[in-house]
Amino acid sequence: MQLLPMSFRPSALILVAALAVSACTGAGQPAASGAPSAQGQPVAGGTVTIPIGADPTLNPWSPNAFVESLFINRVIFEGLTKPGKDLAPAPDLATSWTIAPDGLSWTFKLRDGVKWTDGKPFSADDVAFTFNDIVLKKELGAQNAASYAAVKSVTVVDPTTVRFDLSRKFAALASFLAYNSGIVPKHVLSADPLKTTSFNKGTPVSTGPFKVEKYTSGQSVSLVRNDSYFGPKPYLDKVVFTVVPDPNTQIAQALSGDLTIMILDNKAAVDRVKNASGLTVVSRPLVQYYWLALNQTDSRFTDVRVRQAFVHAIDRKAIIKSVELGYGQVANSPITPALKAYFDPSLSEKYPYDPPKAKELLASAGWTPGANGVLQKDGKSFQFTMDVGQRGVLEPVNALIQQDLKNVGVIADLNTMEWNAYIQKDVVRRDYTATVNWWTYPSDPDVFPYYHSSAAGKGFNIPGYQDPKLDDLLVQGQSASDLEQRKAVYKQLQAYTSETLPYLFLWYPQEIDVLSSSLQGVPELGLRDAVQYIGEWWLAKK
Amino acid sequence: MVVFASALTFFFVNLAPGGPASVMRFDVSAEQREALIHRMGLDRPVPERYVEWLAAAVRGDLGSSLLTDEPVAQRIGERLPNTLALAGSALLLSVGAGIPIGVVQALRRGRAVDHVLSLLSAVGLAVPVFWLGIVLILVFAVSLHVLPSAGVTGVASDSLGDRLAHLVLPAVALATTILPTIVRFVRSSTIEVLDEDYIRTATSKGLSPRTVITRHALRNALIPVVSAIGALVPRLLGGTVVTEAVFGWPGMGRLALEAAQGRDYPLVTGLTVVVAAIAVAASLAVDLAYTRIDPRIRLT
Repeated sequence: MQLLPMSFRPSALILVAALAVSACTGAGQPAASGAPSAQGQPVAGGTVTIPIGADPTLNPWSPNAFVESLFINRVIFEGLTKPGKDLAPAPDLATSWTIAPDGLSWTFKLRDGVKWTDGKPFSADDVAFTFNDIVLKKELGAQNAASYAAVKSVTVVDPTTVRFDLSRKFAALASFLAYNSGIVPKHVLSADPLKTTSFNKGTPVSTGPFKVEKYTSGQSVSLVRNDSYFGPKPYLDKVVFTVVPDPNTQIAQALSGDLTIMILDNKAAVDRVKNASGLTVVSRPLVQYYWLALNQTDSRFTDVRVRQAFVHAIDRKAIIKSVELGYGQVANSPITPALKAYFDPSLSEKYPYDPPKAKELLASAGWTPGANGVLQKDGKSFQFTMDVGQRGVLEPVNALIQQDLKNVGVIADLNTMEWNAYIQKDVVRRDYTATVNWWTYPSDPDVFPYYHSSAAGKGFNIPGYQDPKLDDLLVQGQSASDLEQRKAVYKQLQAYTSETLPYLFLWYPQEIDVLSSSLQGVPELGLRDAVQYIGEWWLAKK
Repeated sequence: MVVFASALTFFFVNLAPGGPASVMRFDVSAEQREALIHRMGLDRPVPERYVEWLAAAVRGDLGSSLLTDEPVAQRIGERLPNTLALAGSALLLSVGAGIPIGVVQALRRGRAVDHVLSLLSAVGLAVPVFWLGIVLILVFAVSLHVLPSAGVTGVASDSLGDRLAHLVLPAVALATTILPTIVRFVRSSTIEVLDEDYIRTATSKGLSPRTVITRHALRNALIPVVSAIGALVPRLLGGTVVTEAVFGWPGMGRLALEAAQGRDYPLVTGLTVVVAAIAVAASLAVDLAYTRIDPRIRLT
């Protein structure tokens, strides 16, 4: 072991000085001098290392399966469907499905000969168990259960056929089944489906292309190839998820060649990572959008002209440029560009940054400048509090919005809160006036849970916006069965929401992924979706 | 003392805004939230829950973690050795380096060496651990490639040498949180002792400067330093929170951070009890060390 040198070498000192200036987001010469992208025939072998922020919970339905759990759960547990490379639902444990003419029952044909990693056969009983005994059992509070509110029960027709009976039409069912809805083994979990720690924090029995070899709390979870996997044999030997909580340390590890692929959360570091040899930087679409919610119980915000004025007043392109370094695009509806089949690009210039227009709209709503330049109506100043959760880019974004609103005479006071306390105040108690946040949802345009009036006040309809016409469109979207009909409905929905602004749409972010140049075969999807194709990944020999 | 700390923590953490992370997430419906709170028993009054917790705790059962359902004692047991190894090495490093540096400064009082070292300790006190940690990683792991960047072992290897190599950077980073304080204590108390009559006596007896310093001066100068070290143990344990996060070190500091952010009430309380016990043990150890180095103090 080499002892610590007592004095830094000059080159190291220069690096330290450079880092001091660049606020320690990562720089330096990468040690791994990987060969530039060697396309060609896939070769077998090798280990891929991916960082995660905390210890995962290896059960997709556990309420403690947070974002760091998604990667592994999507690799080891398979759903009936998975997101196709076009994000439309593709077969996984189910090979095909049919919808009854009344739309109220779906029949899934299951893959034959699938085995759990402990050798027991997979069957329709496991599917029925996963839904009837976990998801639909309300007292368990299973993660993601709210997505299946329309499902009444799941019935085993025969060992390779199951039927989902619904209480209402639910065209998005196959898409939702592709989203964090892995099937878990009845024979292991029937005693305690959500709290079996030898499963959740150990070596769960699963069906995917890789299986857990070892779970070391606080350090890593290593996966090895599952030789009883039904699909094509994966190229990689191992996939190791290392627990690295600090995002700057993750970047340093990527630079030192310790990681194979990672999501770059701190976009400010993108240029430094780009300049490192041996690493490739790519941007990926996400099914995610940022919004500003204005509480509809506040009468100032029920006037649509006020909401439209705010969108004109906020320089969204400047926000994208400054906090996302350009990796994103202006949003005007809840349907993201990642959903290519549905996204309507014609709305992109609907609300240009236009403060005079904003002032005009506010004036038509009765808000006129007072002595100090602040807008007033009936003798009251236009002033309110925006709650800011401490997470991701929310703090700088709120500061920019505050400035933009001030420019049109609206005073927004920022109240910054620790994340957990923020959720309790703004989401659980709905005790807020205005707040910025984001939604990520399954790869389907069915946004019913976030917009329907039945979800106002307690569900995911954060602003509490209620509109019978919008409700009608949301139900139509769920009832439409063929793709063309759905496209038409969701085109209308995009136009309608961009006009009425239930939420003020801000931007659609993109994900930046950093890959070792030797890593090949990763589909052009966000990393959390791309891991579902990990069987196709391979490492070029250096 | 420990029971008092547990009660204080239990009430404070339960009264803090927010709730367990499984409940306080954006994508949980009101219905799920209610079911989860009921299942965790959090709909019952806090005093009732504390009495129940205390009754189990005196039998050695610290309850189950709300975030993982594993026993709290097991989760702490997994992490405690890592934190003790990290904090212990940092303490050894600080004492091992701090005493000679402080003595050198005292002997060269007012000279250039003293000024430079004083400046360095001021810088050491001012530099935040997370920044120093990242810089250490970038220099020694990314640029020079001589030490691993994070974690407690490599992905493939698990030898003693590998573990020691992983320990170096976090221990150095953590040591900087207390090293400057130790240096200052050693310096000032050595200077004080050097002015004492018995040192002048020893010197005029014709003893060599080395003997005067090691046998006479240092022995007396270290007495206040030992008590300072006892007081620095809580600061050291606090420093592990940041150090462990930066270096991906699987210790109690990181566990405490996760537990607090996730409002894992039983785990936060359990950790406080353990840390309080360590602090009490450290001050006891200091008292015992006193009797060794200062013959004027006797245990009665």
